[in-house]
Amino acid sequence: MRRVAQYVAAALAVLLIWEVVSLSLLAVRGRVILPTPVTTIRAGIRDFGELSSAFGASALRFLIALSIAFALGLPIGLAVGFERTLYQTLSPLIYLTYPIPPVALLVFLYLAFGVGEAVKIVVVTCALFFQVVVAAQGAARGIPRSYITAVRSAGASRWQLYRHVVIPATLPEVLTAARVSVGLGITMLYIVETKLGLAGGPRTGLGRFIEYYAFRPELSLAGVVGLSLLGLMFYAFLEFLERWLCRWKHLGGPGGP
Amino acid sequence: MIEVEGLTVSYGAGRRTVLALEEVSLTVAEGELVAIVGPSGCGKSTLLFAMDGLIRPTQGVVRIGGKEVRGIRRDVALILQDAGLLPWKTVLANAELGLRIQGRRGDVREVLAQLGLAGFEHRYPGELSEGMRRRVGIARALALHPKVFLMDEPMANLDSITRQRIQNLILELWQRLHFTGVLVTHDVEEAVFLGQRIFVFSPRPGRVVEVIDNPGVGTSDYRDSDQFLARVHHLRKALVGSAT
Ligand SMILES: Nc1ncnc2c1ncn2[C@@H]1O[C@H](COP(=O)(O)OP(=O)(O)OP(=O)(O)O)[C@@H](O)[C@H]1O
Ligand SMILES: [Mg+2]
Repeated sequence: MRRVAQYVAAALAVLLIWEVVSLSLLAVRGRVILPTPVTTIRAGIRDFGELSSAFGASALRFLIALSIAFALGLPIGLAVGFERTLYQTLSPLIYLTYPIPPVALLVFLYLAFGVGEAVKIVVVTCALFFQVVVAAQGAARGIPRSYITAVRSAGASRWQLYRHVVIPATLPEVLTAARVSVGLGITMLYIVETKLGLAGGPRTGLGRFIEYYAFRPELSLAGVVGLSLLGLMFYAFLEFLERWLCRWKHLGGPGGP
Repeated sequence: MIEVEGLTVSYGAGRRTVLALEEVSLTVAEGELVAIVGPSGCGKSTLLFAMDGLIRPTQGVVRIGGKEVRGIRRDVALILQDAGLLPWKTVLANAELGLRIQGRRGDVREVLAQLGLAGFEHRYPGELSEGMRRRVGIARALALHPKVFLMDEPMANLDSITRQRIQNLILELWQRLHFTGVLVTHDVEEAVFLGQRIFVFSPRPGRVVEVIDNPGVGTSDYRDSDQFLARVHHLRKALVGSAT
């Protein structure tokens, strides 16, 4: 209950800062630069149908990208970090490709996949995929030897080793990394939705929505609020997942019982 | 029952090779409880790992029940130096781990109750005291009903009361279950309290430098007898001698 109150207070503080900034800008420049929270929210409510379809389209896109990034990145990262021979052969490859920003290759991706849905998902997936791979690989390398010995000494197969040790031992770190990279993922989502969304209407995604209404600033800003809420939603979801799947990590610690 | 012949184990390769054990030979009779003592890093854990089939000898062989150890065997259980509990599993799941991995069934709750862990089944290791964690490690090995028990310093870093309690527990279990036991320790009193024979190891690379017969183990009030004190004294001198 106290935590809820703290979050409500923080949200009110954000709105207050926003209000102050937009009023000061109005006073200094003599015209509306940043719409106030009230006008923004009012605009968002008036065009709620359109805004919520844009939100839904973006959320679905992000969810798909996140799921693919996990489904591919987690096994690859864990195996590369845990299996010595894979580590020796594949980690240089990951090391070299990790810093390439997929958005910089947008032109080529666009030539390869067109401006359709696929390329948007590919770019966001790539960004998240590398975060998951690198986190999983690092976490798998840091598993204490005694955990592995304990399970091996009972006669565990390779799969049992993953199931009882490698996956649960690395999960907290991987989920935290994924949570931290939500910000990056949302940025990528915005870029692909604006750069590759020119043909679509405002309902095709929040990025497109924000650009489409560039001349109705209060509505455009409502789109920005939507995008922030989208990021927040995934951030909170991953945090919940971490707390739920890794209960053992939170015994008596901060926020624990 | 356990025969170790010319066992040499080295870790790593090339210039970074570490010779952990060199030409170790010893036998443990069926139903015997022996202690291995030696300075830190002399290869005691390595010896147990080789007996458990976790590592391959560089040279020499380990035989259990006449058969060469080439991998994990179901009739041999190892208690790890730090209990080897998995922090994401509850006490119950940790105690059941060995059975589950081997696809066996068994009543772990009863074993936990015998070790004074009833009521803690659903706690995580992070919520237990160090002494309780060690007992969970013992429960996990016990649940497998092994013929051979390999124990790697199960009492290290415990306060003296908890340490004595677990020493008594191990003695009692051995008298009741008649397993063959190898107990690694660097505590002199503990070795004399629990080892029918005591193998004294040299510093790394570990070699057997002395074998001490200690027939009083298990007799009542052994800990307070003059014989016990004399053996402790003797062993302490042997250990100091081995280190120079
Ligand atoms: N995986 C490994 N790689 C390289 N060297 C190792 C490895 N495991 C152990 N060693 C080395 O082998 C030697 C023996 O190690 P071991 O763990 O068997 O000693 P120990 O007698 O059990 O020590 P302690 O009393 O501290 O537990 C040590 O010098 C150690 O540094
Ligand atoms: Mg050791």
